[in-house]
Amino acid sequence: MKKFLAMLLSAAMTLTMLAACGAPASSGSDASGTPETSGSSETGKTPAASGSDSLQLVLSTTDGSTTDDKVPTPWYNRTLATNMMFRSLFLANSTLTSVKPDLAEYTVSDDSLVYTITMKDGLKWSDGEPLTAEDVVFSIETAQKSATVNAIYTAAFAKIANLAAEGNVITITLSEPYAAMANVLAQFAILPKHCLEGVDPLSIDTDAFWQKPVTSGLYTVDEFKVGNYFTLKPNEHYEGTAPKIQKVTVSFVNDYLTAAQSGIADYLYGNATDLVEAMEKMPNYTATPIDVLFYKYFIFNMKGVDGNENPAMQNVEVRKAVIEAIDRAALATLYPNATILNSGVPNNYEAYNGFEYKYDAATTKANLEKAGYDFEHTFKICYYNNDQTSIDLINTVAYYLQQAGMKVETTLSNDGTTDLFTTRDYDIGFKGKSAFSIDEWYTEYMSTDALFGNIFGGDTAFDASLQKLFAATEEADRNEALKELQALEQEKVYKVPVFTLGNYVFTSDHVKLPEGVEFCNPLYSCDMDFANWEIA
Amino acid sequence: MSETKSIKEMNKSSSSSLFRRNVRKFMNNKLALFGLIVVLVITIACIVGAVMGIDYSTPNLPQMKKPPSAEHLFGTDTIGRDLLARVLYGGCYSILVGVFCAVLSSVIGAVLGALAGYFGGRVDKFIVRLSEIFQAFPQLVLVMMLVAILNKRGLGNLLFIFVITGWMTTFRMVRNEFMSLKSETYVKVCEAFGMSKSNIMFKQVLPNVMSPIIVSTTTNVAFFILQEAALSFIGLGVTDATPTWGNILNAAKSLSVVTDQWWIWVFPGLAISLFVLAINFLGDGLRDVLDPKQQ
Amino acid sequence: MLKFIFKKLLLMIPMLILISIIVFFGLQFTGIDPINFMVSPEVLSANAENIEALRESLGLNDPLLIQYFRWLGNCLKGDLGYSFTGAPIVDTIAVRLPYTLELAGYSLVLSTIIGIGIGIISAIRQNGVIDYLGRVFAVLGQAVPQFLVGIILIEIFSIKLGWFPAANRVSPGAANPFLDSVLHLFLPVLTLTIGMVAVLMRYARNTMLDVLNSDYIKTARSKGIPEWKVYLKHGFRNAMKPVLVIIMFRIPMLIGGSVVIESVFSYPGIGLTMTNAITSGDYPVVLATTLIIAATMLICSFLVDVLNALLDPRVRLGE
Repeated sequence: MKKFLAMLLSAAMTLTMLAACGAPASSGSDASGTPETSGSSETGKTPAASGSDSLQLVLSTTDGSTTDDKVPTPWYNRTLATNMMFRSLFLANSTLTSVKPDLAEYTVSDDSLVYTITMKDGLKWSDGEPLTAEDVVFSIETAQKSATVNAIYTAAFAKIANLAAEGNVITITLSEPYAAMANVLAQFAILPKHCLEGVDPLSIDTDAFWQKPVTSGLYTVDEFKVGNYFTLKPNEHYEGTAPKIQKVTVSFVNDYLTAAQSGIADYLYGNATDLVEAMEKMPNYTATPIDVLFYKYFIFNMKGVDGNENPAMQNVEVRKAVIEAIDRAALATLYPNATILNSGVPNNYEAYNGFEYKYDAATTKANLEKAGYDFEHTFKICYYNNDQTSIDLINTVAYYLQQAGMKVETTLSNDGTTDLFTTRDYDIGFKGKSAFSIDEWYTEYMSTDALFGNIFGGDTAFDASLQKLFAATEEADRNEALKELQALEQEKVYKVPVFTLGNYVFTSDHVKLPEGVEFCNPLYSCDMDFANWEIA
Repeated sequence: MSETKSIKEMNKSSSSSLFRRNVRKFMNNKLALFGLIVVLVITIACIVGAVMGIDYSTPNLPQMKKPPSAEHLFGTDTIGRDLLARVLYGGCYSILVGVFCAVLSSVIGAVLGALAGYFGGRVDKFIVRLSEIFQAFPQLVLVMMLVAILNKRGLGNLLFIFVITGWMTTFRMVRNEFMSLKSETYVKVCEAFGMSKSNIMFKQVLPNVMSPIIVSTTTNVAFFILQEAALSFIGLGVTDATPTWGNILNAAKSLSVVTDQWWIWVFPGLAISLFVLAINFLGDGLRDVLDPKQQ
Repeated sequence: MLKFIFKKLLLMIPMLILISIIVFFGLQFTGIDPINFMVSPEVLSANAENIEALRESLGLNDPLLIQYFRWLGNCLKGDLGYSFTGAPIVDTIAVRLPYTLELAGYSLVLSTIIGIGIGIISAIRQNGVIDYLGRVFAVLGQAVPQFLVGIILIEIFSIKLGWFPAANRVSPGAANPFLDSVLHLFLPVLTLTIGMVAVLMRYARNTMLDVLNSDYIKTARSKGIPEWKVYLKHGFRNAMKPVLVIIMFRIPMLIGGSVVIESVFSYPGIGLTMTNAITSGDYPVVLATTLIIAATMLICSFLVDVLNALLDPRVRLGE
């Protein structure tokens, strides 16, 4: 009899366990449950929210952009935390397309080749040393030698023919016009020469400097607790308006949503469905959609510069048929804010040429047959984002292709894009890119691109139009170059964008934003009037 | 279940009255019986589901994240696949992982344990060293190395790793038993009769250690199923295309799924827990029946 | 006995070296280029020469054997090398290892006390309420995957109730460091404990039952010794020996469990370091953490051997 009791009990306990999580869960989706959720995170009962006088930021240690033992280098991605510490020569607007002076102001010659940059007077680093033109020259030169820098700097700085500093004036002479130079410089963080002079530029991002960096911005690091968090205090040598917020804590977390729900994040961003849906249910957060060029795209594995090619994908008709076998509109529903596009240029841009990849379930198989696709071939897809939505997306893609009669194998690769050409075993790669501008998307077609050269076989077809795009200062020239590039792109079908993902920035009501703040792509830096942010 | 059958057979050969007594004892043990029934029901349901070719892989995006309904008893997952079908299909893989690894690692452990325990000396030393090295190796690193070398997160990898890292407990148990039993009179008698060593080891001594081996094999089934789920969780499990219970449960990584789509993780979670629970009951029951000290 | 212990200890050195060889060369076999992990593909594309220079400066172009001996030599000097992210590994470990020891240690102590306590009570009051509740709890604790327990605990206690933090080990600006540690450790320790208690309780109960059914206890009882004395002096003492062995056996499992739990709670211990190193291809760190875990396992298995030899005279020391 007692054993029956035990069985009953065990069943009951299982049920309670489920109920414990199920009950609040189910009520969370209706209206009555929502205030309750907010109640606990709002009232600051959460022990971690003890720093209620400070602005709480979070850094993700799982997206590969930073480790939990240093301040992430501002030369790779810019994050709000590093934007508050490191300034650039100029300050970008929220679309990252125009600049105003910050550390310096500039003039450019009529032929767009010579930039004359004049540093502001009285600039100081957080350790009291003067911030000079020397630091700027050092930073640009070091970035050219460094390994972990964002490709936008590498591409732009490659055009610099001469770089000289005299007094507080820096002269940059370009070898050919590069229209985006000022915009790129507005992102590029200047680092202190006197601290980093002796450091190997190759591994500069991992130097001990990054646990106690000397900064130029509003704040400087106060305390660094490896594996847990670091805190920021106002930089006393900052020459502008001192910030209203006296303390910022930056915690290392592995999940933004958990951080938000347990009350340790006042500002976060993301584009994943589960994050956005859950955050929108939290009334103490304000969601701001941001239009960014976050491309999700397929790359066909063509051939290397060594001529080693992937025979299955050489036929352009096959590539087209494969893409048209995928219902991209349905895939887009996996994300909260995905916009389908057919080239590097979004459909709503003036430069868009109107071409469209069309999905029609009825004809996919016939198209593949017509193109001469070998249905015995196992079509291998390589992807490297490990989040649930990416996995879901790849599984769905595999399903569509199987419906078209193809044999499909999907592999999660640790190795990113390089796997495509090191093994040349995959037919197609799926990746994402948060681009600074459309130019960055097209730069990948450059025949000299060390990575994509190995995937597209160093095809030189794009090079001339690309030069045109880089040099274009007028809107009309630019659009013309983009149209040329789109035509080429759609003719070659080397890489095909699926959609761009709109990003969201979430801010909690723990902070009060000044009027008229506009957020930009959260991986870059722009004018957010941070000095006037307040703790509510 | 192959284990129960082999016990029955073994007991039958020794004494049919003892066997009948054991069965009666087992039937009287309600928890064990419950365990056996649950294990059988889940296994059969999974196999029947898989044989019937239920559709576990067709995504239906407009239908994603739908709560349980008449059409989808367990609801649908993040891309609209039927969860009941996935849980059933996943069960086949997970149970396969559990049973295959438990049985094979027990066999390896028992054979090596018998060799080491019976021969002693150098053989023993060597095998013990070997087992210590395997035991010291973090499973994670081995899995990762294999995944990277073969460039594939296949089911085969996982089975291989589990077997080669899973035999040590059985090995130690069997070895210790053998060391103790080696000096017993009946072994000496067998030796004096000139029986071959393999005969003594596997026919005379091993049956005495059979019951703990069977019990530990049973509980190992549960252990490996949980282990598979844990590896999936840190992203080193079987590839996502294979719906193991661990892979399905992976959705619980996302906090919003935990809060808002409970069915996506509760059903696979329940499946794992119930199965493991039942296996443990079964193992306990077998221990009670087979343990001579309890008779 | 001393000789036995000494010999066992000495034997651990070649075994550690063997393990390091397997891992070192195994990692080379993977054919993964660590550079790809250190530098993003976009960057790789843009400055190939710098990448080559970086490879050279990291010594990745040297023959394998030289790389191995260079590493081994440094290890003996107490220098575990540098992570590919640049941090000296010794420093990383100096920060992370204590965190993990804390986590595993508290879980071990807590689960031992609870597990053995309930186990013994269950055995004494066999088929009583505690016995049944305990056994049900034990089986449940073993049945639910540990990471799921962790996630559920986070959901309930950190998010719905807001009692405990959901991540990390230290909070910024904590007024009371001790309270802060307790709050941070509570949920992960609880998660690990739930899994451990189950096993220990079952073993403690079973061995205690065995002992209580044995002849010498019956003799003691028949001599009229008070019940509590029988339990404590004769029962407990004899039952605890095999349980001790089990506890030792559980330590590796505890470490294995903490790898998973640390990633559930983003707890910055050695396990999380290893998981991250594995997924990011940071070989030097994988190597170092593997060795540390292997050493812990070897020490545990050594202790099991010693205990076994002490407890069961029939098990020859093998020497």
